[in-house]
Amino acid sequence: MLEFDRVVLERGGQRVLDGVELRIAPGERVGLVGPSGTGKSSLLKLAAGLLAPASGRVGNRFARTCMAFQEPRLLPWRSVLDNLRIPLHAAGHDKACARRLAGQWLQRMGLAERADAWPRQLSGGMAQRVALARAFATAPDLLLLDEPFAALDPALRRELGALCDAELARTGAALLCVSHHPRELAERVDRCLRLEHGRLLPCALPCPAIPDADAAVIPLFPQPAAPRQASTP
Amino acid sequence: MTRHPPSPRELALWSALGVLALGIGWQLVAMRLGPLLMATPLQTLRALAALVGSAAFLHHAAASLLRVACGVGLGIALGLLLGLLAGRHPRLRAVLEPLRWLLMSVPGVIVVVLAMLWFGMGTTMVVFIAVVLLAPGMYVNTLKGLLLVDPALLEMARVYRFGAWRRLRHVVLPALAPPLCAALLVATCGGVRLVVMAEVLGAMDGAGFALANARSTFDSGELYAWVVLVLGLVALLELGLLRPLQRRLTRWQEDAPAMHREAGDA
Repeated sequence: MLEFDRVVLERGGQRVLDGVELRIAPGERVGLVGPSGTGKSSLLKLAAGLLAPASGRVGNRFARTCMAFQEPRLLPWRSVLDNLRIPLHAAGHDKACARRLAGQWLQRMGLAERADAWPRQLSGGMAQRVALARAFATAPDLLLLDEPFAALDPALRRELGALCDAELARTGAALLCVSHHPRELAERVDRCLRLEHGRLLPCALPCPAIPDADAAVIPLFPQPAAPRQASTP
Repeated sequence: MTRHPPSPRELALWSALGVLALGIGWQLVAMRLGPLLMATPLQTLRALAALVGSAAFLHHAAASLLRVACGVGLGIALGLLLGLLAGRHPRLRAVLEPLRWLLMSVPGVIVVVLAMLWFGMGTTMVVFIAVVLLAPGMYVNTLKGLLLVDPALLEMARVYRFGAWRRLRHVVLPALAPPLCAALLVATCGGVRLVVMAEVLGAMDGAGFALANARSTFDSGELYAWVVLVLGLVALLELGLLRPLQRRLTRWQEDAPAMHREAGDA
């Protein structure tokens, strides 16, 4: 169970969260949307214990909380395999077990051949796949996703999203997911919340049945009305 | 001139040319000053061969090597350790700041004089001087380097519950490697110089003592042989120890992505 009780957070003199109430039960999947810069990432960091609230209470009784960031955040000076092995080792697996699990995860991600590569030799999609594998490998019962697919092209985003869904279905982990793609969220979460002016409001889920998901992207910034798919071959 | 950067092999050739120029310069100056003031390279080599065969050589060399190892090792370890601790604890950093300022400002000669007063002649004094004069530089470089550690990676380490040791080993130290490698080089070369200087002033054995001895007996061949040996030690430490260490620590940066490498070679 994750509980936010009248949580207030201030960053740089500004009140980012103003009395946020949130409850996530085991196995529950919650989406989080809202305009850019409203503190969605801060809310996730509070849940992960990376930030402390100015007032109020954050109670996290999940055994293993794991967070996947917007960027892969791999250790650039450790091999791809070590980037999986080291967190597994830190999570309490013994050396041999951590190595075996890391190898299995790379296999599952189709990256077994890149085990000895440096992270900078991977493409953005590959690096994010390693980061996801790292998150799933430690077997979290609460997964926090901070738009880990945001920087990827639509095809890769769908691929990683499907992988993510399969893993969540397999483990039954709870999920708190920030996204700018409400239709993708709709396929992944049980309910959706909207962060606005420092408060969480319930938010209706769009119907997931509409096939063209990309049409419903909420722009991060006001964009000129240019054709979005112009660069695709 | 080509617009391409010169290859490592070409650069090595230019370095060899530099060594040759130094040798020729040495020969010319030695011929002008005479054998009493400066031995020629050939005389030095002959004296070197005799020196290495002598019984006293091993004793002096071992004494100096021990002092270099202890002084440089302790100085580096102390500076690094205090730097890492001070980086994590601002209060400790504030406490250490006056000491750091004191040690970096005090002239080396004063440290030598005081150390001779406190410890007398010998190994303790020499090692003390090296540690006291080397540790502050290492400390400052460690603190500066800690500012370069990516906060995003530190957050990742917290999410995955890296302990203090794992964070140090896999996140902090690798990020510190570039500034620390430079600091290690400065500390090692400076350490050899300090040890030899301290030995000249206050030791009954070691390379510095042998140097002072050769000077007082006007044995310029042996004097220059010791100089060559000390220079050789510095070269050995840099090329045999520090360069390979640096290459190992920064391997992940040198190895360009495959496509970039092909483009560069073409």
